Amino acid sequence: MTETPTAVRVMVVDDHPMWREGVARDLGERGLYVVATAGDGAAAVRIAPAVRPDVVVMDLQMPHLDGAGATAAILAALPGTRVLVLSASAEHGDVLGAVRAGAAGYLVKSAQVAELADAVQRTADGQAVFGPELAGLVLGEFRRRDAAAKREPQLQASGEPALTPRETEVLRLVAKGLTARQIADRLTLSHRTVENHVQNSLRKLQLTNRVELTRYAIEQGLDREG
Amino acid sequence: MTGVGAAPVARRGGQGGRGATVDVHASLLPLWRGLVLYRVVALAYAVANVVRFAEAYVRPALGVAVVVFMAAWTLVTSVAYLRGARRLALVDLAVTVGTTMTTVLVDDPARIAAGQPVITTVWSAAAVLAVAVAYGIRPALGAVVVSVAALAFTRQALDAALLSDAQLLLVAGVAVGFASVAMRRSAQRLQEAIATEAAAAERDRLARDIHDGVLQVLALVRRRGPELGDPDLVREAAEQEVSLRRLITRGPPGLDGPDDEPVDLGAAIGATLPSRAVLAVPPEPVDVPGGLARSVVAVVREAAANADAHAGPDCGLWVLLEDDDEAVTVSIRDDGPGIPEGRLEAAREEGHLGVASSIRGRTAELGGTADLVTAPGQGTEWELRFPR
Repeated sequence: MTETPTAVRVMVVDDHPMWREGVARDLGERGLYVVATAGDGAAAVRIAPAVRPDVVVMDLQMPHLDGAGATAAILAALPGTRVLVLSASAEHGDVLGAVRAGAAGYLVKSAQVAELADAVQRTADGQAVFGPELAGLVLGEFRRRDAAAKREPQLQASGEPALTPRETEVLRLVAKGLTARQIADRLTLSHRTVENHVQNSLRKLQLTNRVELTRYAIEQGLDREG
Repeated sequence: MTGVGAAPVARRGGQGGRGATVDVHASLLPLWRGLVLYRVVALAYAVANVVRFAEAYVRPALGVAVVVFMAAWTLVTSVAYLRGARRLALVDLAVTVGTTMTTVLVDDPARIAAGQPVITTVWSAAAVLAVAVAYGIRPALGAVVVSVAALAFTRQALDAALLSDAQLLLVAGVAVGFASVAMRRSAQRLQEAIATEAAAAERDRLARDIHDGVLQVLALVRRRGPELGDPDLVREAAEQEVSLRRLITRGPPGLDGPDDEPVDLGAAIGATLPSRAVLAVPPEPVDVPGGLARSVVAVVREAAANADAHAGPDCGLWVLLEDDDEAVTVSIRDDGPGIPEGRLEAAREEGHLGVASSIRGRTAELGGTADLVTAPGQGTEWELRFPR
């Protein structure tokens, strides 16, 4: 095999056998070490602790346990592992669900082989693989929260993370298809700062998940006392 | 076991067996049951009538035979009607009319002339009701005419009693015929609703299958593109993949509806863009009135065509759709050479009202604003904002 001590360890999770094997082979040919494949989310959760992948390439719509659920379970067991969502469906809710569950990036299945291999490598390096489609979804999700908070201010929790104007600006440019370098040029920022803004917006989205859960728990507790 | 299971299926008739269909006969079953009940009660009345007046008959034995036949016919028709044999109604009418006319053989002509009831009594109305249930109002009126004619022949008179019978038959025939038509229509509507629902479910199922199979293969072809050495095939696969995915993720855009019908602007824009365009949308549908959606799509199409014309048909094209409480914003960007500063102004001064002013004008007509960001080497970016 092409295993080298520094090769990124990858696990490919997809319920479509031809696709799964094709992706595994393509990644292997490009110097990545495919340590396992799985045909559904539940199998992925079982296998992952044994093979300890650096990156899990995750499909979304799968039997037994979907991509979002598998992402949450794998990240809970293996905090060092990163999940890259690779989905053909562009199911908006599913993509957001996986990102909120902790996925580090999202790539559509129509991406070229080189693009996919690059995305896996970047995910392993700790970057967010964050294309225009995902940027549009994340922007829309924060807007929806803003609007809901304005309509019903009493429901607005303090500490609900919101995007800063700068983060919104960066996300909009990502959604318009600009590369990180182009964005850095246009906003006269460093490339690194642009990457940070993108990462922060993802982190805040994951945080809203936790804030919501906490708020729910508090409400349940208050209800019982009252 | 089999007997229990078989009975309802048999009653429903031929087409009712497979899943979600509404059987018209089943929907009329309450009327048929009512008819059977009426006929049995009327038969009891006719039997009592014969028992009471048999001594006065010219041919009492024939009278008894007629009533026995009526009982048998009641049994046959009841079973047949409950099993859905509605065509029997016309035979029923002929048999009943014939039975009514045997009165002239059974009874004393003097008694008949004096206005005594015919041997079939009110039982004879059942055939009119059967025609009404089976065929509706107009055939019921025909059955009333036939029945009244038979009564007139039997009684050899056009008196008040006949008129009263005719009125009662008319009212009953029209009322039951109307009920039958209304119930049949509602059953058909229900059938249509179920068919629509089934079509939607089938579409969902197909979408899942397409997602599982065709899309995966198309995506694979596209991804393996460089190795396949057939750029036309790869481009074709890519275009088909994108349009299929847009179709199954957001459904058809539905821009043909009325102006005030809400339309998902994301789906509508997705359907109008070339497949190489990357479309970024919010997670939830951006519903706007159909009229606005049509106008916005027209402006987007013009901006995309403009990108094709100036940056070439292979240029990168990105469209971002944003939605907040006040406005819908559509941004269209290409990575072409861009438009040098002043060229647009120069074109306008020369009197060439180019694409730019057309896009601005259309946007302004909708109460919106259009901003153009462009510079040599930076591509061209339109940001169109339409107030909600």
